[in-house]
Amino acid sequence: MSVLAAAPTEIYESGDSALRVVAISEVSEHNWLTVHGLADWLEDCGAEGLHGAVPTYDSVLVEFDPILVSARQVRAFVKLGLLELGRSAGSATAPREFDVPVVYGGEFGPDLERVAQHQGISVDDVIRLHTEKTYTVRCLGAPAGSPMMDGPAFPKPVPRLKDPRLSVPAGAVAVAGRQAVIAPAVAPGGWCVIGQTPLSVLNIRREPLVPYKPGDILRFRQIRAEDFGQYQGLELEPQGLVLADVDREKSGARP
Amino acid sequence: MSGEILIQQPGNSVVTDLGRTRGPRFGLPVNGALDQYSARAANILAGNQDNHPLVEITALDFRMKATTDILIAVTGAPLTLTVGGRPSSQWEPISVRAGETVSIRGINRGLRAYLAIHGSIEAETLLGSVAPDTVVGFGLQLKEGTSLLTRKSVGPVRQPYFDLPLFRLGLERPRMDSDLLVDVTDGPDVAEFGASGELLFTSEYAVSGRSNHIGLRLGGELPERTSNGEVLSRGVPVGAVEVPSREELLVLHRGRGVTAGYPVLAVVTSTGLDVLAQARPGDKVRFRKTTVAEATATHRRSRAQLETLRESVNTVFGLLGIGCRPQWQDLPVAACS
Repeated sequence: MSVLAAAPTEIYESGDSALRVVAISEVSEHNWLTVHGLADWLEDCGAEGLHGAVPTYDSVLVEFDPILVSARQVRAFVKLGLLELGRSAGSATAPREFDVPVVYGGEFGPDLERVAQHQGISVDDVIRLHTEKTYTVRCLGAPAGSPMMDGPAFPKPVPRLKDPRLSVPAGAVAVAGRQAVIAPAVAPGGWCVIGQTPLSVLNIRREPLVPYKPGDILRFRQIRAEDFGQYQGLELEPQGLVLADVDREKSGARP
Repeated sequence: MSGEILIQQPGNSVVTDLGRTRGPRFGLPVNGALDQYSARAANILAGNQDNHPLVEITALDFRMKATTDILIAVTGAPLTLTVGGRPSSQWEPISVRAGETVSIRGINRGLRAYLAIHGSIEAETLLGSVAPDTVVGFGLQLKEGTSLLTRKSVGPVRQPYFDLPLFRLGLERPRMDSDLLVDVTDGPDVAEFGASGELLFTSEYAVSGRSNHIGLRLGGELPERTSNGEVLSRGVPVGAVEVPSREELLVLHRGRGVTAGYPVLAVVTSTGLDVLAQARPGDKVRFRKTTVAEATATHRRSRAQLETLRESVNTVFGLLGIGCRPQWQDLPVAACS
């Protein structure tokens, strides 16, 4: 992330073991850079008693052990970190790019038609709008490090399901409100599932458990239902790794 | 020499620890022992470090057999404990001979008990913790026939030594009533509830049967949000009190999803979370408002008692020659100020 002065912030008590820091500038991108820059700084400073920071869009939850540090001390730390943001480049790693093959509709995307109807556009248009956008991972959310992203350029926000599903499969590609997401693990969910990727996203034998981090880039690519099996068992990896191999295998197998 | 135990009747039990504190930044809840005080106390009484793996037993009867001599301690909810058929006391180190059965029955006040074994238990870790995570499918849920390895075996200890009055030195056993008083501080979004936020402190709530390690659902008079704008997903603290529906109050516990979009009315204190960990369906909960400074002071007083206990246990174990070196953990400077 580039050098920038932190957006103005407000700090709220959130119990005896956490603080919520909210960036309140008019510019959402600035708020996002501020809370993620602050989370990275807190992570790197290695202060005793700090458990970690959970940054999302405009806020970051800072968790700590109240036996080791007080809320007042953590608040002072946060203010120092916000000042430091403007002085250092932070963790300036270039975003990595991920290509996500998706089967849309049918059993893979049971809500695709519902979304199309609600938007007043065709199913093909929903797929087109979903695949033509380049997505920035805004934050890791529940469950299990889901990549939370700003959604496609649909005409209007997508309402959540009235009756959330008790179980949504891993790899489900979903939209809600103005947001888009992939589900790394099986979980209940109220978002509209428009497709599914055959790639596995979560690997609890690996650290980090999900391959992307906030700031990375995702693109969705439509594949045919009959090609779903070809990708199964493969992991989502930064572009240039796994998918290139698959393409080679596929072209090699062609008569 | 290592020890071994064999699970005969698992009830509802898992191997856990104090939690995955590195989890939330990766989108995983902290999880771990819901009653942190009782879990720490069990490990201290067994001569372990606070964060060592131990068994959390929820609600149902549990039975295991030691295949080598071991030393255990059982804390948490009151229950009927027998070792080799002999009635035994909770909140004390207990010597178990090879071949003896440890039986835990009748958890009917409070909900969760903790069983620590000297030398702790071998278990896989994820991000540095053995705590189960039901969402990503990680953890050691005990089954009939599960064999657990402990890192140490302890020869039979002459029982009289354990009649030393360990607990008069300051360890408070948590009270387990069906009327629970839970301390909370104002949440970051308390203003969104206007005057109705006060209902939280004047009403009595009933614990629903749909409560679990993710959160407790409480029925009663509900505060109402006065604003209704969409809230962007953000990190929610363990202990967050939310009003997601018109039916119930939701109090998030250690298994909570890390991010959510509901306003946070109040946050249960660290010691209050231990109280809620023992709440049974049907129990009554009242909330009491406190401040972060007061909550921190209460939490530190409670931890200081555990440090006193640790000193006593180390002394006794030293006298008995039980194979652990004293495990001093200096109180950090901040805790003394």
